[in-house]
Amino acid sequence: MRFDRGCKNTTAAFLLLAVTLCGCADPPAVFVLNDAYYAHIERKTQTTFDPRSRDDIGLILASSFGEPDDPYVPLIADLDATEILDLTRVKQSSGRVWSDKIGIARGLYREHCIHCHGMSGDGLGPTASFLNPYPRDYRMGIFKFKSTGKGLKPTHDDLVRILTEGIPGTAMPSFKVLDKDEIESLVHYVRYLSIRGELERKLIELLPDVEDRLLDDALRGKQDDKYKAQWDTIRGTAREVMEKWVQAEQEVLPVPARPDGWQDPETMRASVEHGRKLFYGKVANCFSCHGDSALGDGQTQGVDAWTRELLNDKEQFLGLAKMTPEERDRFEYLKARDPRILPPRNIRPRNLRQGIFRGGRRPIDVYLRIVNGIDGTPMPSAPLLKPGEAPNPGKLSSDDVWSLVDYVRSLQYESISNPNDHEPVVTRERL
Amino acid sequence: MHVGSPNSISPWPARWAIVLACATFPLIWVGGLVTTYDAGMAVPDWPTTYGHNMFAYPVLDWLRGPWDMFIEHGHRLLGSLVGMIAIGLNVSVFRNERRGWLRVLAVVALLAVISQGVLGGMRVRFDNRQLAMIHGCFGPAFFAFAVAYACFLSPDWSKVSAGRLDRSGQRILRLSAVLVVLTYLQLILGASMRHLTSQISPDFFRILVIFHLINALAIAAHIAVLRVRIAANFPRVLGLLLPVRGVLYLVSVQLALGVGTWVVKYGWPEWVSNWDFAAGYLIAAKSHSQSMTVTAHVAIGSLILAASVLLLAQTARRFLPTGASPSRPYSADRRDGANRPSGLAMEAVR
Repeated sequence: MRFDRGCKNTTAAFLLLAVTLCGCADPPAVFVLNDAYYAHIERKTQTTFDPRSRDDIGLILASSFGEPDDPYVPLIADLDATEILDLTRVKQSSGRVWSDKIGIARGLYREHCIHCHGMSGDGLGPTASFLNPYPRDYRMGIFKFKSTGKGLKPTHDDLVRILTEGIPGTAMPSFKVLDKDEIESLVHYVRYLSIRGELERKLIELLPDVEDRLLDDALRGKQDDKYKAQWDTIRGTAREVMEKWVQAEQEVLPVPARPDGWQDPETMRASVEHGRKLFYGKVANCFSCHGDSALGDGQTQGVDAWTRELLNDKEQFLGLAKMTPEERDRFEYLKARDPRILPPRNIRPRNLRQGIFRGGRRPIDVYLRIVNGIDGTPMPSAPLLKPGEAPNPGKLSSDDVWSLVDYVRSLQYESISNPNDHEPVVTRERL
Repeated sequence: MHVGSPNSISPWPARWAIVLACATFPLIWVGGLVTTYDAGMAVPDWPTTYGHNMFAYPVLDWLRGPWDMFIEHGHRLLGSLVGMIAIGLNVSVFRNERRGWLRVLAVVALLAVISQGVLGGMRVRFDNRQLAMIHGCFGPAFFAFAVAYACFLSPDWSKVSAGRLDRSGQRILRLSAVLVVLTYLQLILGASMRHLTSQISPDFFRILVIFHLINALAIAAHIAVLRVRIAANFPRVLGLLLPVRGVLYLVSVQLALGVGTWVVKYGWPEWVSNWDFAAGYLIAAKSHSQSMTVTAHVAIGSLILAASVLLLAQTARRFLPTGASPSRPYSADRRDGANRPSGLAMEAVR
């Protein structure tokens, strides 16, 4: 009798446990709509969009890109995008984390990236609020450290380099432990998220000018011409986004060789001195942001492109403590529409005296930062003379840029950059 | 040396219990590594391993296979070993131990190991991170239980006589109980941060981190108070002093590991970026140093929980009166130990 009761109790306990555990299902993996941008465009254009437009965009994106567990790659007629979006590689990085018997890892994005960059690549992963700078939101299609010009997409190698080398001084790690195929796969998936997110933004931007619906699925089979025209507009927009990525491989800025004899100490000294003059000159104008001392204290109220959107495209922000009522109201409005968005933050110019450059510390990296600028930040591209162009006092030659590179790279070795290295006064007097 | 209590006719139950506790700690380490390397699904089937009986999986394939598969299959084998030790413990306890409650606890230990194995299996079968988190929280609880059980079977446990629950004893007992609750809560918070599901918002994660930090400080303050009270009231009772010192040292190490874990995972905070070491710090994802720091933080957390439970057990043994034990009153304020129950006086060895 007692045994029966014990059995019943045990069975009941296990059933209760099973029911409880069944309730612990992981939340479904879904892409999140860019509600903050939707609200931003609504407010900017003083329009209230048809509530169905949100679902329309969701439908367009789902039918073109699939879902996180089952991604597709959109096919655009006459555009060979296999180099930038290889479905096999995209699939390897998508979905749940697992690996097969021979160790081929799957779900790489969810294993390595999602906790910062988020499921949709919106930079709103769980850890985002603690990180400075915030993790990159791929949906704007802007990438900072690349070999292509301002406003252009990064090349494949640029993305591989960032993943492999990481970004010092930030939460972006180096993934050197991953093998080449895994890095390749992640690059394709990052591009997939970026293209998807940028198309989403472009579709939202179309909404104020759309006469009826962006895509009315009810028209299918009834008014095929109208339905086809809607899809043509969408495909045209997708082509616009994807073409830029395809073209990026041809847009790499050639880096001219350094002037002869640069390794000679005297030549180097002269180059550094020339670079110093340019640094404080009106053309390069580096000091206005990096400061007279190059400590990065010249312009401390700048914001990046991602934050600008939260501030109604303002380029200056005094900080959270000094937010104007208008800025606060705007942020709260956007936060109400997308509760995940993070408060605006300033972006600080680099302290050049530390000798730490986030895009890489090789001379060529610094050259590319000066010539291309840093997309999405107040760092502009230097006005550069084109090959064969006559000297112009308002522009820099490639030799000038190399001198700037030499000067910037020399700053960390100046005694002022490391006060501990100063000789004691007594020693100097003795000498 | 004789290991075993007066109620046990053999030293073997105590020995088995010690082996069980000792085998569980590496299991927690390897389990921590599985989560650190996100290797939970490196073997997608369960209870088989790639179709083989788990124990018949070719050893060379395992040893030469991919790293994540190596640790996941190793975790399963180690878990099975702990299960076998739990069976051995049960056999030994039922043959040699007279105390019924210890027999019951031996069965509980075996059921707990089985449940934990099934939970781990379900995590794989359903590829469910929530179950992984529950599995990750249950493991340290079992480890603490195994340590306490080994303590119950030790000969010293029977020799200690219960005292009277006076005011100072009451305070220490209460503080010890709260310490266990706080350390386990801390472990759950930590597990929630490690087993993040993708849809958690930044605000929710922020709350988790803030609670984890506040609770860490609360534990540190709590253990400091407990250490002071025990040292003040029972300066010669090693049964209380050793666990409380152990927890204190472990918490100190754990605080350093917590900072280290944050740094190796997310870098230095912005407010130290003026220093070159922080401004130029590059995180190496899944590197040896990163994985070991993070996993050590997890494992030491389990050790703190076990030491806290041990302290609670020792405290309860001394201050909770039981019917079977002589319970002579004594004053906690008297420090010479002469008027204390024999158990307390006996342990005053320097």
